[in-house]
Amino acid sequence: MTDIRPEAVGVTIEGVSLSFGTTQVLKGVSLTIEPGEFFTFLGPSGSGKSTLLRAIAGFGPVPGGRILIGGDDVTHLAPWHRNVGMVFQSYALWPHMTVRKNVAFGLEERKIPARDIRGRVDAALSLIGLLDLADRRPSQLSGGQQQRVALARTIVVEPRVLLLDEPLSNLDANLRIQMRREILELQRKLKLTTIFVTHDQEEANTTSDRIALLNDGVIQQVGSPMELYDNPANRFVADFLGTANLIDGRVEKGQDKITFQADDGTLIPLNGTGVEAGPGTAMFRPQDLTIRKPGEDADDGAVLPGRVQHREFLGSLIRYAIRVGDNVILVDDSHQAGRPVFDVGDDVALRLSVGQVRILAG
Amino acid sequence: MNSFSRSQWGAGGLALLIGLFLFVFLIVPVVKVVYVAFQDPNTGALTLINFVDFFNTSLFRESFLNSIYVAGGAVLLASLISIPLAYFTTRFNFGGAVLIQTLGIVPLIMPPFVGAVAMLLLFGENGSVNLLIDEWFGFTIPFMEGLNGVILVEAIHYFPFILINLSAALLNIDSAMEESAQNLGASGTRLFRRIVFPLAMPGYVAGASLVFLKVFDDLGTPLLLNINNMLAPQAYLRISSIGISDPMGYVISVILVVFSLFSLWVSFLALKNKDYATVQKGGGGLMKRDLRPWEKIGCYAVIILILLMVLSPHIGLALLSFGTVWSYSVLPDAYTFAHYGNVFRTATQYISNTLLYAGLAALIDVVLGTAIAYIVWRTGLIGRKWLDYIAMGAVAVPGVVLGIGYLRTFVEFNVPIIDKPLSSWWVIIVIALVIRRLPYALRACMAGLQQVSIMLEEAAENLGATKTRTVRRIVVPLMSGGIMAGFIISFATASVELSATIMLVSAESDAPLAYGIYEFMQSAAGRGPGAALGIVAVLIVGIATYISHRVIKRREKELAPGVAVAAQGV
Amino acid sequence: MKITKRIFVQLTAGAVLAVGAVMAPIQAVAAEKLVIVTSYPPDTTVTVGKAFTKATGIKVEMLKKKTTAGIKYLQATAANNTSDMFWASAPDAFEVLKGDGLLQKYTVKVKGIPEKVGAFPINDPEGYYKGFAASGYGIMWNTRYLKAKKLPVPNSWADLEKPIYHGHVGMSAPSRSGTTHLTVETLLQGEGWEKGWARWKDIAGNFKTVTARSFGVPDGVNSGQFGVGVVIDFFGLSSKASGFPVDFLYPKMTTLVPANIAIVKNAPNPGLAGQFIEFLLSPEGQEVLLDPKIRRLPVNPATYAKAPKGFPNPFKDKSIGSAVKFDLQLSKSRYNIINSLFDVMITYRLDDLRAATKAIQTAEAKSKGNAGAMKLIKQARALVSKVPITAAKASEKDFNSIFKKKRKKATTKVTGRQAEFEQAWDTEIKANYAKAKQLAEKAASM
Repeated sequence: MTDIRPEAVGVTIEGVSLSFGTTQVLKGVSLTIEPGEFFTFLGPSGSGKSTLLRAIAGFGPVPGGRILIGGDDVTHLAPWHRNVGMVFQSYALWPHMTVRKNVAFGLEERKIPARDIRGRVDAALSLIGLLDLADRRPSQLSGGQQQRVALARTIVVEPRVLLLDEPLSNLDANLRIQMRREILELQRKLKLTTIFVTHDQEEANTTSDRIALLNDGVIQQVGSPMELYDNPANRFVADFLGTANLIDGRVEKGQDKITFQADDGTLIPLNGTGVEAGPGTAMFRPQDLTIRKPGEDADDGAVLPGRVQHREFLGSLIRYAIRVGDNVILVDDSHQAGRPVFDVGDDVALRLSVGQVRILAG
Repeated sequence: MNSFSRSQWGAGGLALLIGLFLFVFLIVPVVKVVYVAFQDPNTGALTLINFVDFFNTSLFRESFLNSIYVAGGAVLLASLISIPLAYFTTRFNFGGAVLIQTLGIVPLIMPPFVGAVAMLLLFGENGSVNLLIDEWFGFTIPFMEGLNGVILVEAIHYFPFILINLSAALLNIDSAMEESAQNLGASGTRLFRRIVFPLAMPGYVAGASLVFLKVFDDLGTPLLLNINNMLAPQAYLRISSIGISDPMGYVISVILVVFSLFSLWVSFLALKNKDYATVQKGGGGLMKRDLRPWEKIGCYAVIILILLMVLSPHIGLALLSFGTVWSYSVLPDAYTFAHYGNVFRTATQYISNTLLYAGLAALIDVVLGTAIAYIVWRTGLIGRKWLDYIAMGAVAVPGVVLGIGYLRTFVEFNVPIIDKPLSSWWVIIVIALVIRRLPYALRACMAGLQQVSIMLEEAAENLGATKTRTVRRIVVPLMSGGIMAGFIISFATASVELSATIMLVSAESDAPLAYGIYEFMQSAAGRGPGAALGIVAVLIVGIATYISHRVIKRREKELAPGVAVAAQGV
Repeated sequence: MKITKRIFVQLTAGAVLAVGAVMAPIQAVAAEKLVIVTSYPPDTTVTVGKAFTKATGIKVEMLKKKTTAGIKYLQATAANNTSDMFWASAPDAFEVLKGDGLLQKYTVKVKGIPEKVGAFPINDPEGYYKGFAASGYGIMWNTRYLKAKKLPVPNSWADLEKPIYHGHVGMSAPSRSGTTHLTVETLLQGEGWEKGWARWKDIAGNFKTVTARSFGVPDGVNSGQFGVGVVIDFFGLSSKASGFPVDFLYPKMTTLVPANIAIVKNAPNPGLAGQFIEFLLSPEGQEVLLDPKIRRLPVNPATYAKAPKGFPNPFKDKSIGSAVKFDLQLSKSRYNIINSLFDVMITYRLDDLRAATKAIQTAEAKSKGNAGAMKLIKQARALVSKVPITAAKASEKDFNSIFKKKRKKATTKVTGRQAEFEQAWDTEIKANYAKAKQLAEKAASM
């Protein structure tokens, strides 16, 4: 039994643009992925994330710009020469071949001697725990099993990069969670550079070292999941990851203090660090506010008076929609049995810890 | 290194080769025929004079009108047969649905001309049926009188095209459509007229125009029924009696091609913008209801009557093949196996030739079909759609026209080793079969390819297989159902092709089955063996069709649910 | 992947078949084989061919083509000739080929063949083609049909004009059948141009159909489609021998014309061709002609000793075929025009002709005594019989060339086109038939 220890490389994308007919799907995307990294392309449908992944694999029209894998320019290289392993959303297992033959395919194409093929296939199948199903046909396997076979088929050829195109979206919820943990574990074991495409932020957050968030063919932000969440670069990022309160207004710099004046007059004091005067959007998360009866003291935060418009019971927390001035602000209040709950129509005071307020460019 | 372009070059080269083949063996001969039709036979200059002569000659005008009349009549009769059958299966919970499905296949395994002679013996003025009717009631029905005979034989053979298309269209109608109409107050004939009929129309028109085309172009049936004042037989007679330089044969060819193209266009239009099936979410067909007892009897009666009519050529042919003498009597005088003995002693070369020609042609057809399907659907070559159009265009070229074109184009081209003009070498028959059957094989291969998800190919390429290896290891095996369907269709129809064959056969030893049957029917003692040979032909086609159904069903089971295998071909 | 293997097997099998098949014709071409262009049906060619191969070991390939098509074929392939012999009934076809220089002379070694059969020389006096059997033309009928419809057996061409046979007669056309052409020409020569055409039109008025090929006639009579057929003798005799309820006779106005065989110029195997002729004329070969599938009249009088009872013997029974002395040159001179005229006047105007004839027959039956009516009927008949050109014109060389498709001969002046003339005739004929019908109907109402 041979071990599988492929050689991990980095991927560099320089100014890649791609159009299908007259529609431009990728608009000058640049990105560097480190060797061994678990990197995710995240974004809504139509953002170009799958297109970018497929471009790395060599499918689709030849893009403008450059794609480098491990320092080699592969932009004009045919897919079968790139040695990047791709797992398709639909698994794409060949129905007329057994599991074993499916997994052996890539090795056969590389003209590996038959004896070695057998060993390596067995190793790969053991790794995913399906050695005893080696002689079944794909149609006889469950969704999760098919997905694992697709994985095995790819890693057995020891690709330099692993590409996963929404591999979990065809699985039901429980299986999805289990599979993403297994994939992550596999990746850690093999130390394989992996690019993962998904539209599901929970998947992205729980697996990735870094995420590139795409929208409309443009990279919005690249960073670790927490970075993106805590310091979104723009409205889109803020809104896409988790829930955000966004208020438009201006930053006013005074003598000794900086305030944010919302368009409807609401004032929010800010920390002085690195904020420029001028128009902008204030962003803070529902969990950054606490909800109190009116008239209680503010500590070091802002107090925003408002009225409860809507209330949702979400199990571990209660989410309130509070009207403050012209804006509706979402507030999450953790819930335990017995804690006081506000009703629709109640006047309340929201305390915002100003350290959590971010100003995004207008 | 640009390794992309290598695979592009490969595909491009292949496309060019195929294009060349189609060009030389389809476009050039047809263009030649059209050109000669516009040429003055004495001076060689371009002129309309041949067409003027054609339309000035009453015989040709008559032939033209007769062809239209016969084709139209066949469509009408075929519709009369198909519509009740389609209605029974889709409107009622009817146990005899399987019977009707069989009815839809049986006629297609015997080409019309083979049964024509037997039909004469059964339905002719002094045939079995009329002798009985005359004896019992004192009158006769002119079933087979003149053009009626052609209409009857063709309609009985070609009605499945309408039946299948119409049934499919009716089955595609969402029951919600009917229900909402009823909800809004429509019922009965109004409902039928305003909802069901218009929705089923495209399917009907597609089938009807196809029948029109095939009947209009058919040479064998009128020839064997001794009807000469129709276009296709006239073309054949002019070329074979007066010579390859007679302009009228070419003028007729042009008219045949024009009308065929027109029919195809109508069929295409009917299906184009009216893809009603996809707009509806449900499908599931019309609402079915149960039959009352007397209705059931009526239904079965109609079906049995149609079944008898549909089987009559087969029955007649069988009787003729076993009969000793059948003359002016309801049934043959006595029965014998001698004719079959005769056939297997003297005529085996017809059978072996046919197996060779049809087998080769079918093989070439599926190779071409697969290649064209792949090029059209999987590559980005410029102009690749034209390969599809041109290959499909062969449907609009009647066999007799292709035959004339080949004779005219290749008579001067001497094949090197064999030292014979190409038009006299048996290979030209195979080529004619390849071209004529390619559209059907192509459709089957395309359907097969479309069932193969492109991701399955991408997965292979991703794992290191070049395009060629991917095609070999993944695409072709997964297409095998479609490929086999294409092979069988091509083989079955090629083995009984007559129109082009009859023009291109230059020696007895090269002749295939259809020609052999035609030959046998030309002598008094040859009727019996000719019929026996016809039964052999029917058996070959029938067995081939049956095998294809079994194989395709088994393939579907093997690969389901991942890949469904296509099997339809028109 | 069992299916792939199957395809692979199919491919291999197909490839093997293909290779084998390509080899076979190559071998066939290489081996010595006699190639004969013939208009005879397989019943004749296969039987004779088999007998010949058995006797000499030489293989024969028959290229089956209708007489006219055969002529065209030999003309078209003359530069690159691959045929050894031409074997057909009509001597005028051979005359056409002889005139085109496409035959070669041969001297027969076999003894015992007389000079003439009936009134006709058996062989081409110039030696280009040889007669191997004699054929006459006559009337065939279906006994069951006549019995059921209570019709008497017709004895002469004149009989066929009778109203009782209306719609019961079948015949082919000269343009489609060499033998039919001879039949038509025979009657024209026997009765004269005008009278002959008149007779043909009167008979044609009783036609049920004009068949596409000569075989269509015996076929129709055999199967009972129509009751009476105008056929060459061996069609009738062989049908009878095959067991069909039919019979055959020669009317007085007939001729016996030899069926011929000749060697094509520049034949690949002239030696083998000669052997075939020798065989055909030998006692053994002549006897083959008596086979029930063939039933042709041998030219060797001695063979008749082996013939079945009732088989016609022209050498004993001098009455057969001596009424008309067939003029081959005359026939040749107007070959294509006869084809054209028959088609224009009869084949393609059959409905009009039949309608006119029926009207005349009805009128005649009704108005036996009525002088005025009879006068109209006579006019009607004259209209029906009318031929658009005279006998002299029909034999005119230049006029004839319009009806031929000569290759690249710029020397012949072609005034007008065949289609033009045919259309002009057709218009005239159609008008005549219509008018005749009118007159007859008028006569019937008088």
